Amino acid sequence: MTTTTLSQGRTVRKIQPLQGQARFERAMWLFMRYSGLALVFLALSHFWVQHLLIGTHAITTAQTVVFWGAQGQPITLGNVLFRSYYAVMLVLAVVHGINGVRQVAYDYFGHRPAIYKGLMTLVVAIATVISLGGLLALVLGAQASSEVAIR
Amino acid sequence: MLRPLIVSFREGVAYRAKGNLLWLLHRISGLGIVVFLGFHIFGMSMAAFNPALHERALELYKTPPFAIGELLLAFLLIFHAVNGTRIAILELRPQLWEKQELATRLSLIITALLTAPTLAIMAYKSISHFLAH
Ligand code: HEM
Repeated sequence: MTTTTLSQGRTVRKIQPLQGQARFERAMWLFMRYSGLALVFLALSHFWVQHLLIGTHAITTAQTVVFWGAQGQPITLGNVLFRSYYAVMLVLAVVHGINGVRQVAYDYFGHRPAIYKGLMTLVVAIATVISLGGLLALVLGAQASSEVAIR
Repeated sequence: MLRPLIVSFREGVAYRAKGNLLWLLHRISGLGIVVFLGFHIFGMSMAAFNPALHERALELYKTPPFAIGELLLAFLLIFHAVNGTRIAILELRPQLWEKQELATRLSLIITALLTAPTLAIMAYKSISHFLAH
């Protein structure tokens, strides 16, 4: 046991810093809570703007192109803000979601390491492809096809 | 292989402690949102890679089955957000644990207050869209 002596002459036990898996679990525990709090604002504002203010039935590709900015067109400040907001939300939600799935998978399949690891490999692989695709899409900008006129 | 899943669901529902049901609903809502999120990010990326497919996806969302799914998603997201906020605040500030009962009641009330107008407006928009088309 490591001890340390304080200036008053009293001896106290030193708490060992967490290492390896325990350190990772603590970081993820904190991340779930802080990312959750950030997502309250990001996800709910996104949801309410798209579903209440605009409304699902009024959303069109042409309108998405306006908000997002079209490939090959000059980018406006609005486009930059829109893309940054979505990129931050995407990363936080995907990591929060994957870690949530990991906790659930561990609860039900933790005693079967082969199933647990197989499942998580699959989940992480799919999530990586989809999220990198999403981030690349945000970097490139939307495509205004011939059917979709830019206003 | 599925036994732990079945047991957890049965016990979660059978053991009627409020916290336990909330735990189960938090889990189900989290998983529901993750699955939706996968399809959602993929679909929206198509605005950059395949605008025709993006347009088709948007048209699909404007059909009755998706309008109903949208209502369910709204409830799951609002519940998960409010309940998750309760969990985060209580666990990051343990001195508030004495107020657990109040926190649970408050989060249920806030969920109801946010969900009701959201569902009402969404349902109104969908119904008037379907009546007009
Ligand atoms: C909107 C704000 C959100 C808040 C405040 C929030 C908060 C939380 C908290 C505090 C936990 C518990 C973590 C733990 O037990 O260690 C959790 C779990 C989870 N969250 Fe969220 N979250 C939010 C959004 C999301 C989103 C957008 C997703 C989907 C991508 C998601 C998916 C999950 C999953 C799958 C779990 C694991 C459930 C379980 O372990 O039973 N959450 N969330």
